[in-house]
Amino acid sequence: MHSKLINKRRVVLAGALALVAVCLSAVLAHAEPDKKTDQKPAPKKLTGAELYAINCARCHPERYATEFTASQWKTIMLHMRVRANLPAAQAKVILKYLQEDAGN
Amino acid sequence: MKISSLISGVAVAGCALGVALTPRAAAMISDEDFNALRSMVTNDNQRVSQLEKQHEQDQQTHTQDQQTIQQLEQRLGETQTLATNAAQKAEAVAKVQSVYPVESAARSALHNFSMVGDAEVQYGQAKGQHGTFSLADFAPIFLFRANDNILFEAGFDVTLQNNTDLSGKPNGGSSTSVNLSFAQLDYLLNDYVTVVAGYMVLPLGTYSERAAGWLNKIPDDPLPVDFLPGSGVGAQLRGAVPIGQSGQMLTYSVYGVNGPSSTDTNANAGSLDLGGNVGGDAIGSPNLNGNPSGGGRIGWFYPWKAHYDVELGVSGQSGTWSGNYLWSALVVDAAVHISPYVEVKGEYINTWQQTDNAGNIQPAGWWVQTSYKLAGLNLDAPIVNDVELVGRYDTANNAQGSTTDRWTAGFVYYLTNTLLLEGDYEWLINHGLNANELPSSQFIVQLSYGF
Repeated sequence: MHSKLINKRRVVLAGALALVAVCLSAVLAHAEPDKKTDQKPAPKKLTGAELYAINCARCHPERYATEFTASQWKTIMLHMRVRANLPAAQAKVILKYLQEDAGN
Repeated sequence: MKISSLISGVAVAGCALGVALTPRAAAMISDEDFNALRSMVTNDNQRVSQLEKQHEQDQQTHTQDQQTIQQLEQRLGETQTLATNAAQKAEAVAKVQSVYPVESAARSALHNFSMVGDAEVQYGQAKGQHGTFSLADFAPIFLFRANDNILFEAGFDVTLQNNTDLSGKPNGGSSTSVNLSFAQLDYLLNDYVTVVAGYMVLPLGTYSERAAGWLNKIPDDPLPVDFLPGSGVGAQLRGAVPIGQSGQMLTYSVYGVNGPSSTDTNANAGSLDLGGNVGGDAIGSPNLNGNPSGGGRIGWFYPWKAHYDVELGVSGQSGTWSGNYLWSALVVDAAVHISPYVEVKGEYINTWQQTDNAGNIQPAGWWVQTSYKLAGLNLDAPIVNDVELVGRYDTANNAQGSTTDRWTAGFVYYLTNTLLLEGDYEWLINHGLNANELPSSQFIVQLSYGF
């Protein structure tokens, strides 16, 4: 009689646990963030003006693009890429930004 | 009954009267009128026929016009398509081609040659001494770009100074000194590696690489920087690896140079010559040291937006300086920008030197400098907005019995973006052997121009 009662309790307990497990899984399934909607947008590429402000203005006063010709900027940016250890891609974007309004 | 009979009788009488009267009315139209009427009808028929013919011709003309319009519309469509294609092609070409002026095909000898640099004039007065124009400096940097990957650059420092005798006392006249600050060949191997060879500015900390007169906001150098070599002869690999798209990057430099030397071939503490080992010496030895020195720097730069960034770096060099006596250096550098107006930076410098007369010594020091541009106050005062306040604390212990602490307060007035008027007042606290030889305070005013 006692063992039957224990078995019955075990069955009830197992059923209750199964029910809790089902409920939890359902809750977690709803709680799991939607990967598609929660994905962070791809980081925006910095413009030449932004990279210029970030990399150049931290060491010296900003130089105007019109102060040098496009050819001179090419030489100077090569010098600054080496001296300031600028990444190649960033140096190219900054160079293009400066050459767009370069002096004659 | 009588009434209906009466109505019937009237109706019959009316009919009989109508039948009897009609032939008389028809007989009233004459032949002449009839012919005229017929002629009129005939003419009208002819006019109708003519109008019908004209209408047919108009219809034919209209049909032809419609065909012509359709042809024109078709041609217009083709023209518009061609124009659209031409615009698209022009846009595509514009994207590929540079928007800046195309370099002239006829290159001159100076085509890839540029000169940049700086010049300074300094006036100073130390406590207990006469005020004087203490410096006239012209520091050009010559750049020659051989192609997109090769650059030769050389920097000079031309200064005017009083002639002195061996003891340092003035003995009349002046002389001009021309020092080679650096002369190096840069070869950009790829996006991540640049090979540098020659007489190079050494990346021990960041001050030496960014120390041009118009870049430093205080006219003189931090004291402990004197414990480091500014340049060295050798070869170097350096570059940067970007992290993400935010501007964050890791930078590195690895180099081998001759290393420091001895002023008198001895290995005493005071004999260290940080800038003198550039090749063969008077004795004929190709190198006073048993081994060259090796060094490098690794840095991390993190901008979270423009004008807001932090930079940390660790650098060092190790080798021999006289025979096999060791000399090593460690530098930790940091810089922070908070807004376009606030800058804090500094370096900790420690060196180790084996000597004959003093054993192992550790000349060391550190400096921290902060500055604030008054433009950050948003005052409607142009002169005030062009002023930057600067403060610095630096200390140096030469490990030979002298320590100097210095407090500096100064300003920078930006006449233009490249013409600066700098001024500062320095309080010096000297300890040890040479405590009475250095002034307790001094002020310096400097006009700097970057070009």
